[in-house]
Amino acid sequence: MDFNFPAEDDPRRQDVRRWFEANPSPTYKQIAQRGFSAANWPAPWGIGADAEMMLIIEEEFARAGIRQPSAFNPIAVNQCGQSLLTWGTEAQRQELLPPALACEHKWCMLFSEPSGGSDVGGLRTQARRVGDHYIVNGQKIWNSSADEADIGVLIARTDNSVPKHQGLSQFIIDMKSPGITVRGIEDMTGEEHEYCEVFFEDVRVPADRLLGKEGDGWRITMEQLQTERQSMTKPGAVWGAGPTARELVNGLIQTGKIRQPLVRDEAARLYIEGELLRLLSLRNLSNKINGKPAGIEGNIGKMMASPHGQRMTDLAKRTQGVAGMVKDKDVLPLPAKEYGRFTDWDYAYWFSPATTLGVGTQEILKNTVAERVLGLPRDSDPSARMPFNQTTAPRAAA
Amino acid sequence: MDFTLSDDHKALRDSAHVFLDKEVDLGPLLKPGATVADVDYAGLWKKIVDMGWPGMVVPEVYGGLGLDYVDLIMVVGEMGRTLAPAPLFGALAGVWSVLAAGSEAQKTQLLGGVVGGNLSLALAIADADGGYEAPGRGVSAEAAPGGYRLTGSKSFVVDAASADKIIVAAVLDGERRYFVVDRTASGLEVELVAWRDITREVATVRLDKVPAELLSGSAEDAWPFVRDRLYLVLAAESAAGAHAALDQAVEYAKQRVAFGRPIGAFQAIKHQLAEIAGQGECANVAVQYAAWALSEGDPRASLAVAMAQSYNSEAYRDATHRNIQVFGAIGFTWEMKNHLFYKRARCNAELLGAPASQREQVIQILEREAA
Repeated sequence: MDFNFPAEDDPRRQDVRRWFEANPSPTYKQIAQRGFSAANWPAPWGIGADAEMMLIIEEEFARAGIRQPSAFNPIAVNQCGQSLLTWGTEAQRQELLPPALACEHKWCMLFSEPSGGSDVGGLRTQARRVGDHYIVNGQKIWNSSADEADIGVLIARTDNSVPKHQGLSQFIIDMKSPGITVRGIEDMTGEEHEYCEVFFEDVRVPADRLLGKEGDGWRITMEQLQTERQSMTKPGAVWGAGPTARELVNGLIQTGKIRQPLVRDEAARLYIEGELLRLLSLRNLSNKINGKPAGIEGNIGKMMASPHGQRMTDLAKRTQGVAGMVKDKDVLPLPAKEYGRFTDWDYAYWFSPATTLGVGTQEILKNTVAERVLGLPRDSDPSARMPFNQTTAPRAAA
Repeated sequence: MDFTLSDDHKALRDSAHVFLDKEVDLGPLLKPGATVADVDYAGLWKKIVDMGWPGMVVPEVYGGLGLDYVDLIMVVGEMGRTLAPAPLFGALAGVWSVLAAGSEAQKTQLLGGVVGGNLSLALAIADADGGYEAPGRGVSAEAAPGGYRLTGSKSFVVDAASADKIIVAAVLDGERRYFVVDRTASGLEVELVAWRDITREVATVRLDKVPAELLSGSAEDAWPFVRDRLYLVLAAESAAGAHAALDQAVEYAKQRVAFGRPIGAFQAIKHQLAEIAGQGECANVAVQYAAWALSEGDPRASLAVAMAQSYNSEAYRDATHRNIQVFGAIGFTWEMKNHLFYKRARCNAELLGAPASQREQVIQILEREAA
């Protein structure tokens, strides 16, 4: 057992640091060519980095003050691009991966639908094979960055005569295709669009953009969601991004607010939770080093991390009192650091109700933990075993 | 970086697991009105001594096994999982007190006795209000021909009744120092209290001019040294106990049928148990990190043990309370084991100061780091 991080003089770290010193403001293309975009992927895409090397690279990116490709283009680099390595064809990899890793193509996920986010398996968007194309009709919603994406990872129903999870397929589509309309969603934060809805009207998708075979869609999607949830165990305020409890406590100390007895105890609680979540996510990393596959423990991590983030942003906001009810980003001092999209406590606070909704609601995660980790009986889904076209309830009139 | 247990750690844990599953019998405690006197505290201890556990943390130079704290939590976790009624807590508290405050000669003599299996120890330090602040008020020491004499009383002394010698914190010339007394010395009285956790013996120790030997090493920082290690012990018990309570509740929820389904199929039950599973994972990493930090002499070790003790105390309470709720009314009866775990959880959380007091320590450490 060894909780030490790779040391400053670790030759692997020195190697990465020297590259950043020789290339002080690299383009994402240069980063991709060096193999640092998705370093854990095998050559030629990455450098086959193990988890410890990934940690080194993450820390050296932060040291150099450069946003990692996995933060800038997460769907391509973290959640979905990797699926092409196992499920894709060589032609798909050659065409799609170089611009993805160079962040020239931004990717988005097209999973949730208005009729169901938690029950993704019940989705209704259709992809019908016609000659060498599929024709896609339907609607997706809650798609991050769809308005700026070049590539979309779409799950759609290719067969409605089989039970719901079996008739799904995944496609890598061009977001500029005719028939696709993207609209930003005005979410409750009032900030620039985090989410979009995407409409498909007779969109032609070339058949060679099918990932894997028809019917593989559910398995591929589940793999991608596990990867995504695991990355959300980190102790940041919003899904592992944004300020952490370390910054919260520092801000409270700097402002003297830590001296209020109730704030003090709550801050200590949050600090402890944050440190334990940090250890949990490092343990996931350590498991990877030891060759254990990414398992469902990622669900436990996200189940713990999302409410933790909500409690943190809540305390930060409450320290402002009534002044915090005025739109004002100056909540607590924050040190300069790469926070991703959530660069201040105010946005993180008003965004925080989303964190127990997105990427599996808290309720779905608890079901998964109870059923898959603890082995409690599965929830019954009367629609799971019958052909999908016999289960579809009529849509309620709007 | 490697968070996994070594094969040696697992082997140690597995051997403790098998041994304690065979030897621990909580049956006599499940009769209504049972007290700690109904369980064979001394008998189990004899077998534990034969396993060599009292000498686990004694450095090799004093004849012990010199194991590290990760090794220790393998065994302590199993003791916690089974609620093993035996005076290991007192033994460890005594060993660490001697290590912290004893002279070389005293360490050689006292720790040698512990390792040899013919000396049991306990530590009397808390005052009647449960406080541990130095110098303390409960017992005062005065010089006497050939040594010292102690007068006063100490409270919440774990394993005093089964100890051969008790380490007593007493005030000498305005400072806290540590003394050794014989449990059978004249003027010394050990009175068991009706401690709610009946798997553990807790007593009040009263002293009236009891002859005592001064631990003549440096007493400075002795209590933080001992306290940090006792936090680890309780946190390890709590993590393992929380997992035991969770496992039992999950098993029961799979078997108990109501409204035509196992109750574990209902989300009201599932979600609560999932929550406990999450806290249990955090409790595990908390105690493993703390054990590693103590073993390495890491500068953040005091922070790590305070975090673990605070978090795990509440995780254990939540797990054991939820366990009773899942069992339903039967879990509220004395003849079931559920209450033993719940009471252990509550008593562990208060024994060395409430979780809020460890959180205060955490904040103070962070304030010092930020200054």
